[in-house]
Amino acid sequence: MILVIAEQKDGRLNRASWETIAGAQQLDPSAITVLVPGASAASVAAELAAANVSEVVTVEHAALNPYTPDGYTAALQDAIAQLGPTHVLLPHTYQTRDFAPKLAARLDRAIVTDVTAIKKSPSTGSGQADVAFVRPMFQGKLTADVVPQGPPPHFVTFQIGAYRVDQVAKGSSSAPVRALTVNVDASQVRQNPEAPFQQAKAAVDLSQAERIVSVGRGIKEQANIKIAEDLARALGAELAASRPICDSGWLPMERQVGSSGQTVAPKLYLALGISGAIQHLVGMKGSNTIVAINKDPDAPIFEIADYGIVGDLFEIVPAMIEALKQ
Amino acid sequence: MATLIFWLLFLSFVGAFAAQVATRVRLIAAAPSTFTFDDIGFRVRRCLADVLFQRKTIVERPVAGLAHAFVFWGFLVFAGYTSVEFLYGLGLVDLTETTWFHAYRMVIVPFATAVLVGILYLLVRRAFVRPVGLGTHVSAESIVIALFIATLMVTYLLTFRFEERTLAWAVNWWVHMLVILAFLALIPASKHFHLVVSPITVFLKSPELGNLPNLDFEKEQVGLETLKDVGSKIVLDAFTCVECGRCQVNCPAWGAGKELNPKTIVLQTQGALLAGQKDKKLGEIYSEQVLWQCTTCGACENQCPVGIEHLPILIGSRRGLVSNGDAPDYLGAMYNNLERRSNIWGLGYDQRTKFVQSAELETFDPAKHDVLIWLGCAGSFDADFQKSLRSLFSILRAKQVRFGVLAKERCNGDPAKRTGNEYMYQELANGNIEDLTRAGVKKIVTSCPHCVKTIGADYAKFGYTVEIVHSSVFVEELTRGLAAPAPAGTHAGEGRVTYHDPCYLGRYAGKTDEPRALLTRFGAEISEPERNRENPYCCGAGGGLLFADKEEEPGSRISDVRFKQLQATGANTVVTACPFCSIMLKGAQASAGADTQFVDLMTYVDGKLRTIA
Repeated sequence: MILVIAEQKDGRLNRASWETIAGAQQLDPSAITVLVPGASAASVAAELAAANVSEVVTVEHAALNPYTPDGYTAALQDAIAQLGPTHVLLPHTYQTRDFAPKLAARLDRAIVTDVTAIKKSPSTGSGQADVAFVRPMFQGKLTADVVPQGPPPHFVTFQIGAYRVDQVAKGSSSAPVRALTVNVDASQVRQNPEAPFQQAKAAVDLSQAERIVSVGRGIKEQANIKIAEDLARALGAELAASRPICDSGWLPMERQVGSSGQTVAPKLYLALGISGAIQHLVGMKGSNTIVAINKDPDAPIFEIADYGIVGDLFEIVPAMIEALKQ
Repeated sequence: MATLIFWLLFLSFVGAFAAQVATRVRLIAAAPSTFTFDDIGFRVRRCLADVLFQRKTIVERPVAGLAHAFVFWGFLVFAGYTSVEFLYGLGLVDLTETTWFHAYRMVIVPFATAVLVGILYLLVRRAFVRPVGLGTHVSAESIVIALFIATLMVTYLLTFRFEERTLAWAVNWWVHMLVILAFLALIPASKHFHLVVSPITVFLKSPELGNLPNLDFEKEQVGLETLKDVGSKIVLDAFTCVECGRCQVNCPAWGAGKELNPKTIVLQTQGALLAGQKDKKLGEIYSEQVLWQCTTCGACENQCPVGIEHLPILIGSRRGLVSNGDAPDYLGAMYNNLERRSNIWGLGYDQRTKFVQSAELETFDPAKHDVLIWLGCAGSFDADFQKSLRSLFSILRAKQVRFGVLAKERCNGDPAKRTGNEYMYQELANGNIEDLTRAGVKKIVTSCPHCVKTIGADYAKFGYTVEIVHSSVFVEELTRGLAAPAPAGTHAGEGRVTYHDPCYLGRYAGKTDEPRALLTRFGAEISEPERNRENPYCCGAGGGLLFADKEEEPGSRISDVRFKQLQATGANTVVTACPFCSIMLKGAQASAGADTQFVDLMTYVDGKLRTIA
């Protein structure tokens, strides 16, 4: 049986948990148990029951709220002992990074972290050796196929994005949900966390945007920002800008992309009238697809763009909006 | 009786002087020794120029500097007079009646007049004109000292008015001598201690601007953490400061309204030393934020007339902070880029390869090539700067220079070194030295002034020496004898440009004539901006600040201040010779919404050469 440990906070599921379920289904779809720890696990459990899994187990205990590595380790140690899985799968979140190595060490079991893929070789009949977990090494320059050794369960944490949420197979009916009681000695919890620190967050988090329409000096005047806004709306994209636009106050500072603004990595980055100074490029070079529109064929942005349109953005953008509307 | 009283006064004032000096000497002796003595010839010449001829004092502030020089030269010629009068007062030997002394007295009269004029000018300037560099409040002690000096000259001149050995003469003599003694006792605890120590400090100042010896990790050196780590030269500097504020008014950070004031740094060191705070963290003495505002442009150190070195304390403190993990976040990101990709932007190595291929560059081979072109981070990855390099290649090819590039380059390490990440710097430097040595490189040409300084001067501290010149210097020599084309423009002012000296080229390397020679050779008419040649105003990129967020700091952007200075020349074309100046100033221009044109020097020259051909 594969045990997936989902992550939730205040009844809100961390979406990476779905990715981990997708990973579990790749490994062995026949017997998957999803465990949701923490207060208000029940509402999250109902959501997770939609997946094609055997059952969803909730674990609520005073020691799990607020989160502490000691509380989680102790509660999950007991839960694992009760459930007896072959694999324990977790999303490679910050919280997982905090407690999972401790949990694996407590149980003296192997852990493979930051896994990006599962490699199943044809069964050699020798049991577990037929599954390898792929993880990056040396800052991603190499990948390693890791085969965990020793008695089960083996712990595996999946890199965010290793599997897609839409890969999760849904069940024909809701999976059963049950509560599991764990024994935790509250005196084992040595941490006494304060209220979580909330960094003054930029109102716009461009780093999470899937599509970005970004404007540069080629937009010429503030009134013209509107056509970029229209394009962004048509594309379902966030609006961003290069430094001079934000310096001029045409768009707020929090929409600035570049080395003195935000670093973004959307699937689509549409650069309108951005020449592509290196200080801007380093803020968006991680974008999947870069489309640049610029009058100047020598603009450095074309060095990095996947698609380049040399021309007047005031002709091209309205045509694009028109095309998108159809 | 009078002699006995004079002896008692003499001993007590000289004793007070000696005791205060001893405190300072002990503090210098207790500090780890960082005195250097290399290039004695240069040091002697510099002492003559800066101490005897008051070069640095006069050049930047001609009137006040000359007034100061009058006072200084007066002090020198008065040394003999004062000695004779003391020998007389102490009853040791009376030379006052000798004929040579009478002659000497006459000779120094014009000097006394010059001192009087000089000190009264300086007094008025300090008390009433109050230039910003002298600080916000008028120092009472400086006024007292100025009045003392004036009194000395007046009482000296009065000796010609009084009959010798009369009561009036005697009163005048006693006033003169007592003022000297009081002056002596006031010196060590005041900025006037520079009278005693500045010649020594100027002599001990490193011949290299921004001299930062490598840290020895084997000896567990981690940079300056607390006051007791501060070296002897820095301690001497702290007691030498004359508080003239040249470092302050030339500091680009201070000029842009930031908190950093190099003079304050020196005085804070002095205060903490005298207060015995040897275990106090430097980040607390100076404030960490202030330490990260320095662009390492070197203006403070270069303009100081008394031999103070500011960069070793600023960068030394940064080293201490970095060793404790206390670097600002933006540097953490840059260090990651250097560590993972060996370049400041963290871009993929394929981009350099792409450029090398498209520019048809050959891998350096000493048998085939005369020089190595060092691309640098900007040359490898900044598409904008690569245009300038293509111009350089075109010039070199036209002049049949055979050149190649290394198959692989790391960042030279300048951003790591100047921000205090010595470990990373040494890793990068050692890797590059190994590659350069293995490739058999003898001469390097680069368009990046930071690479010139680091590879040329800093790598020498590993025992690696190579000739490295900036492209402006190389191309200037290469194109000598070429005639300037007739101005192509039909209307006047078309050839007008302004040239921004990069700090690491103009100030550090002293190369100010070559870029100008190139510009004028090819028809440009240069409008000099405020702050030029060996004392330019920084673009704001140095010392890792290329990566800093403006929002985190007070004041305006240094690049915006500099761009306004360049704009004020009225020239619509700014010529730059450093990729980082170009990035900063173009950013400022874009934000200002100005239509100023930027041209890299090599692109300018290449364009003109094409019109000749």
